[in-house]
Amino acid sequence: MAEQSWAKHVADVLRRNGIRLFATVPDYIVGYVLDELWVDPECRVVTTTREEEAVGLLSGAWLAGKRGALLMQNSGLGNCTNALASLNMASMVPLVLVVSHRGDLGEFNPAQVPMGRAATRILDAIGIRWIRPTSIAELEQQADGLIKLCYVSSQPVAIVLPSELTGGKKG
Amino acid sequence: MSPLTRAGATKYLASRLGTEVVVSNLGQASLDLLAIADRPLNCYTFGAMGQCSSIGLGIAIGRPDVRVICLDGDGSLLMNLGSLCTIATEAPRNYVLMVWDNEVHQTTGGQATATSKRASLVAIARGAGIEKGLEVRTQEELGRAVDRILSEDGPFIVVVKVDKGPSTAPFDQDLIGQATRFRKALAALPAS
Repeated sequence: MAEQSWAKHVADVLRRNGIRLFATVPDYIVGYVLDELWVDPECRVVTTTREEEAVGLLSGAWLAGKRGALLMQNSGLGNCTNALASLNMASMVPLVLVVSHRGDLGEFNPAQVPMGRAATRILDAIGIRWIRPTSIAELEQQADGLIKLCYVSSQPVAIVLPSELTGGKKG
Repeated sequence: MSPLTRAGATKYLASRLGTEVVVSNLGQASLDLLAIADRPLNCYTFGAMGQCSSIGLGIAIGRPDVRVICLDGDGSLLMNLGSLCTIATEAPRNYVLMVWDNEVHQTTGGQATATSKRASLVAIARGAGIEKGLEVRTQEELGRAVDRILSEDGPFIVVVKVDKGPSTAPFDQDLIGQATRFRKALAALPAS
């Protein structure tokens, strides 16, 4: 298995910003982050059947005083766009999205490419601030500030994980 | 025609409430709850169709010491049936999913839903793993169901067959204000 130290950095940045509740529809790449969280007794990970459900669940948790993060593939961003816009943006409910970026550099599966191209444009279209760190150094430089912005602005933000950072999925 | 109305059932449920959280579905359930029994521990939703049951699940996970009652609609729950599997898997004891089932998409003009034909939401929920499922058609059955959800551990699903008909209550556009008021009220509720 390739070196996946990036995944521990992602898990650590979430945890050190007070996030202990996670919801996910698993993906090969965010699976490395989930491996860090599942073994942490302080963290609770809920697997939902669809990403939209995870948006609802984590929004409810925030209304109950708990910070949450949704870990998913960019294909899942398409499954939850309406909920992010009509619930989180309209009612100002913050939520951290961690989105693996399939369909970009090195992609092997043609089915991933259209949503790969659309991913950050979907985030832009509904007004969600995002970062796309291509190295651990960039992640460490940007992610704490992004999560701070999430709760100060009371709006969702996204950490997009490109293949330059994660190594992608080889096939 | 059902002997129960959504507004009447909302009024009855509200008369039985203490410090429970109530999460209401967009459209009819929220309009009726807002007009009939507004209180700070009501969490109204007017966006994200389908997500009422999931928002309530997140509140129940976030505050396991507070009973959470969702007031969903049949059309909205049919849009998010996977939520029933997640509720069953997480199995919060403080969680109740009540569904106002009028067998139509009321807000959009009364188009029939699958529960008007062959689908049973209680049976689907049992298949998903929610063991405590009740279908309610009369005031007496509603009273017994509310007795149980306020005294027993959940998760519960209570499907209340109600008459068709739109709410006549006005819409409140201040979604941010509603969410803020609810969040503060729940935070102020002492942990028990």
